Order: sequence, then C-alpha cells, then structure tokens
Amino acid sequence: MSERVGDDGEGRRGVRAFTPDFLTELFRNPLDPGYADAAAQRAKSGRPARPGWSVGPVSLVLVVLLGFLCAVAYRQTTAEEPGRAQARSGLVAQIKQRQTDTDALSVRADELREEVNRQREAALGGSQAARLRDLEASTGLGRVRGDGVVVRLADGPGGQDSLSGANVGPSQVLYSDLQGVANDLWGAGAEAIAINGQRLTATSTIRNAGQAILVDFRPVTGPYEVSAIGPDSMRKRYESSRSALTMRKVAQDTGLSFGVRDVDDLTLPAAPEPRLRYAEPAVSPSASPSGDDESSGSGTSPSPSGGGR
Amino acid sequence: MIAVLALLAGVVLGLWLDPTVPAALQPYLPIAVVAALDAVFGGVRAKLDRIFDDKQFVVSFISNVLVAALIVYLGDQLGVGGQLSTGVVVVLGVRIFGNVAAIRRHLFRA
Repeated sequence: MSERVGDDGEGRRGVRAFTPDFLTELFRNPLDPGYADAAAQRAKSGRPARPGWSVGPVSLVLVVLLGFLCAVAYRQTTAEEPGRAQARSGLVAQIKQRQTDTDALSVRADELREEVNRQREAALGGSQAARLRDLEASTGLGRVRGDGVVVRLADGPGGQDSLSGANVGPSQVLYSDLQGVANDLWGAGAEAIAINGQRLTATSTIRNAGQAILVDFRPVTGPYEVSAIGPDSMRKRYESSRSALTMRKVAQDTGLSFGVRDVDDLTLPAAPEPRLRYAEPAVSPSASPSGDDESSGSGTSPSPSGGGR
Repeated sequence: MIAVLALLAGVVLGLWLDPTVPAALQPYLPIAVVAALDAVFGGVRAKLDRIFDDKQFVVSFISNVLVAALIVYLGDQLGVGGQLSTGVVVVLGVRIFGNVAAIRRHLFRA
C-alpha cells in the first residue's frame, strides 16, 4: 500500500513540474503534498511512523479545537436564525402598518376633497360649479359614474418548460398591452379610464419595473380590469381597434385571457391629486448646463418619465 | 479512538462554554470551520495512507484556517467577499470530497 502511494507521489511530482494546472492538480490529488514529503524524509532518516491510530498531543489539541469550532459555529448559526426571522417579521409588520396608514390617509384625503368640493359649489353656485365639475371629470380629478365597458386581461396559466422545469411566462400581460388597451379606449371615445380602480389622467404612466406593472408608480397585479366610461358606440369602435384585435389573437395563441364586456353604472374613482410642477425662469441667460441639472434634480422641471404616456 | 474522543470533548466544551463570538469575527467562523474540516480529512486520509505526520497536520490545520479567513477578509475589503467565500468553499469542498473518497476506498475497498 505504501509502495503504491510512493509511486503516486513521485508520478505526481513529475507531472507537476510540467503541468502547473491548479484545478487539475486539485481534482487529481486533494491530499497535501506535505504528507508525502514528510513520509519520504522519515523513510530517509529511518524514524518510524506512529503506529496505529495514535496521534501527537498537539494534533489532539487541534482536534479538540475543531470540535469546539464546530460547536461554536453551530451555536452561532442557530442563535442568528431567530434574529433574522424577527427582523423579517418586523419589516413585514412595518410594511403592513404603513399600508394601513396610507389607506386611512387616502380615505381622509378623499373625504377632505369631497368637503372642499361641497364648499366650493356652495361658494360658486350655478353654472360655474357645473363647468368646474365637468372639467374635473374629464381631467380625472373627480369621481365619475356612467355606463361603459370593462376590458379584462389576465395572465395565462403558468407554463413549465419541459426541459428545465423552470417557469416560462410567454403568456403574461405586458405593460405595453395595458398601454395599448388604454390608448385604444381613449381613441374609441372613452371619457374616463381606470385600471384596477386606478384612474388615468393625462399624465399617467403605465410602465413596468421588473416583473411588476406600475400605473402611476403604483403596482397593479393581474387580472387587470381596464374600466372605461364613454358613449354607447365605444364598445363597437374599441372591438375593431388594433389592440383588441391583437389581444384576441394573442389570447387565442397563448392561453392569456382577454374579454370585453358592457357594464352599466360604473363608478371610477378620482385620480390622486396631481403634483403640480412649476416652470421657473432661468436665473440668467448664461445659465450653465449644470444649473439645468440642478433644477431637474430638485424636481421643479417635468421629468422625462413623468408624462411618458 | 482518542481522536474521536477529543473531537467529542471539543463539541461538549463548545456547547457547555457557549462563548460569544465577537461580531468582527462572525463572518469568518463558518469558513474557518470548513478549512479545519479540510485539514482533518486530509489528516485522516494520510493516516490511512500511513504517511500521517503530526507537524504537517498542525501546520496545515492552522494555515488552512488562517488563509481561508484572510482570503474572506481581503474579499470583504475589496467588495467581493461573497464571491471569494464561495470560491474558498468550492476549493475546500473539492478537497474534502477527494479525501473522503480516498478514505472510503481505504475502508471499504470500493
């Protein structure tokens, strides 16, 4: 046995001189070469190797140390686990708390807006108030009610790749689908549109961030319902629009679901209060480009993505 | 046999004393354990090959632990700590596998 090992060692050393390939060496001979060297030296000097399973005291100390290390590492890992779970559940609780806060605040904002509207109508009276209401309805700042259509889009059933078993998702609704539907609904004469209860205005954006679709920077999840209030002819005109035809074909081919139906008495909520942006005159005609950067950084000039739709 | 008893003694000692690891050393502990395991499996294999050497074992144990911790430390400083840890674990894992395979051949002749 030791004979064979000695041969191995010599062969390895011979090869090592010619192929200094670390990975090959690592896979072929994982043992520290120092053992073979020490054995060779021992054989030369004639000292006997330790018999059987006995090891030196220093090695024993090291083995004790190894057990100690393993135990400490185990303790450490198990001790960290509840901390991590705690931090995670704490974050989840915080998110939930903030969401309820946001909901309560937006309900309060709606109440206040109603109140403001009531007060304004009382103050203005008559035709001016009516004109204001009409303007608010058409710009998306007021709640509207009426008959219209609901276009429903939903992701197809999650397909699995037969080879890798990974989820493949060609049958997913894309943000561009929602954009197309909304644009064609406007084109078909819609007066107000909301996606999953989120009212669209002239400056609304429909974009995607990773897997999520954002409408006005708020995530919406499938199934997507695009509700539109408009004249009776809207349904017919929309059905012959490009996005309707495309989506029907896509739905046929991929298993994604797409449907248009008439709905009476839809109520669309008001869009959140728009953030007003004010144009500011440049400080001087010789304003440098860096000045422009500054103003866009502080959010006073319209960002290119703000009105992306 | 004495070595196994020593290992158990170490485990008991670790569980009984339950020392707190300083926060600065925490990321290096798992790597150090893997490096130490590599040295120990190398030692067991050398024992079975009848070329075990105490000095070699001690030196490889300590240097393995120190070098592994040093590499991870360097990686942390350079911003590639995670990747370097993975690299160290892969290399040590390959060595452990190789040595365990040799031990298996010794014990079971298969």
